Amino acid sequence: MGVRSPTKDAGYSTRETKERESHSSSTTSLVTSLMKSWRISSSSSSSSAAARVDYSTQSLSGNPTTGTYSEIRHSASASSSHANSKRSLTHNDNASNSSLAKNSSEYGAYTLSRSSSADGNFDAMAKQQNSTARSASSTSNTFSPLRYTSPSGGQIESPRASLLRQKHNKHSHHNQQYYQHNNSSAISELSSTKKSSDKYFEDLDEDWSAVIDNYNMPIPMLTNGGNAHSARYSERHSHSQTRDAQRNSLSRTTTASSIGTTGASGSGSQGQSTQYPQLPNLNIAEALGVDKSQEEIDNEREVQELNSIMQRITKFDSILQGRHIINLQELRQLSWNGIPKPHRPIVWKLLIGYLPANTKRQESLLKRKRQEYCESLKHTFSDEHSRDIPTWHQIEIDIPRTNPHIPLYQFKSVHESLQRILYIWAIRHPASGYVQGINDLVTPFFQTFLTEYLPQSKIDSVEVTDPDTYLTKEQKTNLEADTFWCLTKFLEQITDNYIHGQPGILKQVKNLSQLVKRIDIDLYNHFEKEHVEFIQFAFRWMNCLLMREFQMDTVIRMWDTYLAETSPETTSSFSSSNALNMSNDTLMSPHTPISRKPATFSTPMGDQTSPASTASRSNLSANTAPQAVASPGGASSSDDTSKRVTHSSLNEFHVFVCAAFLIKWSDVLCDMDFQGIITFLQNPPTKDWTETDIEMLLSEAYIWQSLYKDATSHWLK
Amino acid sequence: MSKPVTSIKLVLLGEAAVGKSSIVLRFVSDDFSENKEPTIGAAFLTQRVNINDHTVKFEIWDTAGQERFASLAPMYYRNAQAALVVYDVTKPQSFIKARHWVKELHEQASKNIIIALVGNKVDIVDENEEERKVAREEAEKLAEEEGLLFFETSAKTGANINEVFMGIGEKIPLKGPEEEAQGSGLNVTDDQRVNLDSPGNADGPAGACSC
Repeated sequence: MGVRSPTKDAGYSTRETKERESHSSSTTSLVTSLMKSWRISSSSSSSSAAARVDYSTQSLSGNPTTGTYSEIRHSASASSSHANSKRSLTHNDNASNSSLAKNSSEYGAYTLSRSSSADGNFDAMAKQQNSTARSASSTSNTFSPLRYTSPSGGQIESPRASLLRQKHNKHSHHNQQYYQHNNSSAISELSSTKKSSDKYFEDLDEDWSAVIDNYNMPIPMLTNGGNAHSARYSERHSHSQTRDAQRNSLSRTTTASSIGTTGASGSGSQGQSTQYPQLPNLNIAEALGVDKSQEEIDNEREVQELNSIMQRITKFDSILQGRHIINLQELRQLSWNGIPKPHRPIVWKLLIGYLPANTKRQESLLKRKRQEYCESLKHTFSDEHSRDIPTWHQIEIDIPRTNPHIPLYQFKSVHESLQRILYIWAIRHPASGYVQGINDLVTPFFQTFLTEYLPQSKIDSVEVTDPDTYLTKEQKTNLEADTFWCLTKFLEQITDNYIHGQPGILKQVKNLSQLVKRIDIDLYNHFEKEHVEFIQFAFRWMNCLLMREFQMDTVIRMWDTYLAETSPETTSSFSSSNALNMSNDTLMSPHTPISRKPATFSTPMGDQTSPASTASRSNLSANTAPQAVASPGGASSSDDTSKRVTHSSLNEFHVFVCAAFLIKWSDVLCDMDFQGIITFLQNPPTKDWTETDIEMLLSEAYIWQSLYKDATSHWLK
Repeated sequence: MSKPVTSIKLVLLGEAAVGKSSIVLRFVSDDFSENKEPTIGAAFLTQRVNINDHTVKFEIWDTAGQERFASLAPMYYRNAQAALVVYDVTKPQSFIKARHWVKELHEQASKNIIIALVGNKVDIVDENEEERKVAREEAEKLAEEEGLLFFETSAKTGANINEVFMGIGEKIPLKGPEEEAQGSGLNVTDDQRVNLDSPGNADGPAGACSC
């Protein structure tokens, strides 16, 4: 019992997939394709997967109104996190302690958000969370919960999250070991839960359901020294076997009739409720369980989704705060699914490699880079500098034409800031120079970083407020400097798009057509028949990264994923090729080594992380190809692709996003002639797109990438 | 009873921000917006107009003006029957660029391409003559030397915009009914169509057809 075979983990993942499938009806095809890829990865364990099917049915048929109230997404994370702990334990080293601490922290946070949102009492929750997560309370005010409320939005999160998690499992105990040794602050913060975990980790190891049921831990658990916690673990230990069996049998009844579902899974959780009578919301749910109206079900769903939002916010907080060195990999994985608005500025700066992960170095680095920008400004506007008139003029005429529909970009002060940023960037990068489209790309940074200087309640009004009304002169320069450096970092990855002849864009357009040829041959043939060339519509998609196709808020959401997808980490592990890129850049930027600090800094501590993760990546790619391909850093795994990755995985991922975007309209387009197609693609009906739509698109792109990337390495070059 | 339709493939060239997109927007939608986003790559629009007994359908490729995108231009003017080379009457540099485009079109584009030289933004000059940096005479001289149509326009006020397209429409040999059967489309018979007539008789409407 102590040691489990790894196949069981895969069994869980299959279960997750099943749950997801049932959870969302609108995205069946997405899930189906996901499952296809998934099956491959877990095929080695098909028998154990089959054994788990019963269980999964139970979970999915137990609808949200019942005691199995814990969100499906969370059970996904639960089982994988549990896998973490098991793995660690099988290794039988200290890491198990820390992994447990980690689990506990996760669930502790979850419990808080869960119970409070079930009450609908956010204030109460915020107070409780104050102790561990400072900004959670404030974010609950401004961060619109509706952003994630769509079921499909939740759906989107899942495949990625669990794919990542699976990957993460493979090497997570290395990271955790690192936390254990180097990150005492994080652990002491959770000392109460850790204490109990230390004592009882063996039980946890043997009974994974204990981990899942951790959701139901009432709030006091976190503060009462974990006494109840420990009692529960031991009790759970003795009951685990019987309860597993019980659930399996229950699941058969529940699938038999939908009406019986609530009652049956209610009794399925009976074990829990007798064990934890102190759980008010669970009891309420059961009391009402039999005749829930649709409205109530919707409410419950909303509550769950609120839970997950709060959980996300808490997770971001816990990654960003209280640690000496921020775990960029964790941050990246979390950010892929969207970053809460208040966290976005700092997370973007971290993801792009502007801010170092070492929090102690952040301040000095910011100071330096901002100083550097200031000096650059001074020099540029002094007599020593002879102005590049055509460049200045080109930028000058483009700036009033940038985002003309957003009031923010009509303010004179914004014009001046953008003019400075773009001009300094252009003269520092003579090989590329200013190219139309870069004026678009600078704005998400500018706008996002502006929100740092707004009170949280006003973040949403950033697009209509003149920055001069709330920025000091110094803040404005800092804002410009941050924007400038992040733009620089961002464009570094796609330099080929803007140099003479724009080879990067031409290559992407070609790749897009090849991709569509393979994914949707009907559409491809139709385009050929109508003499539609991809460059006629896709050039702009590449040159402006689809910014012209979407509204700004959705673009910014998209960039969460893009920035998470592009990986300075990846490049730093291939430092030789990275150095080549860099040496290029030193010409223009004398202080480039500083800007590399964030990236390189992860390498020293990489004694634990970097080699481990790299190794696990290559393991993955060797053993379970689809999975490795699916991972964001997967590109870095095989040697022959490393060059491409350092070029940029951004361009590559973007092609898949474009493919998903194009194929989305496939049916409509196939009925159109040349004129119709081009006109449609120039003005796609995306005005009302929400973040959910974007998330769907990104997920589809991700799945296409998972499915086709291995193949594409032959023809995408 | 439908009139015969002739498709004219037309391309706009010229320096950035001289008003190419605005000219097209005025012609197609009779609209104007002060700050239009810079065109990336090229934009495609169509507009039908009646010229004498014919319906002419303009299929317009509005290209991006910035130098960096210039390498894309040949793709768009290669099969074009007409081109507007646009400059800004208040920007001498844009007129120099216009000269380059005319030269390139004569060298690279279809031999019979009809080119119109268009000086845009005359509304600014109308308000204040001092803003004019490209003399009308200078542009007329270039047009005469190179065999171009010439217009001064304002997309903002709409002045002379339709005239540009009507002028081009009248110079393009129109399609007879029997040619109609060949089907339309950009890439089918563009070159043939242009070659059927000598440039000299382009002014005549339907009578100019080959029969």
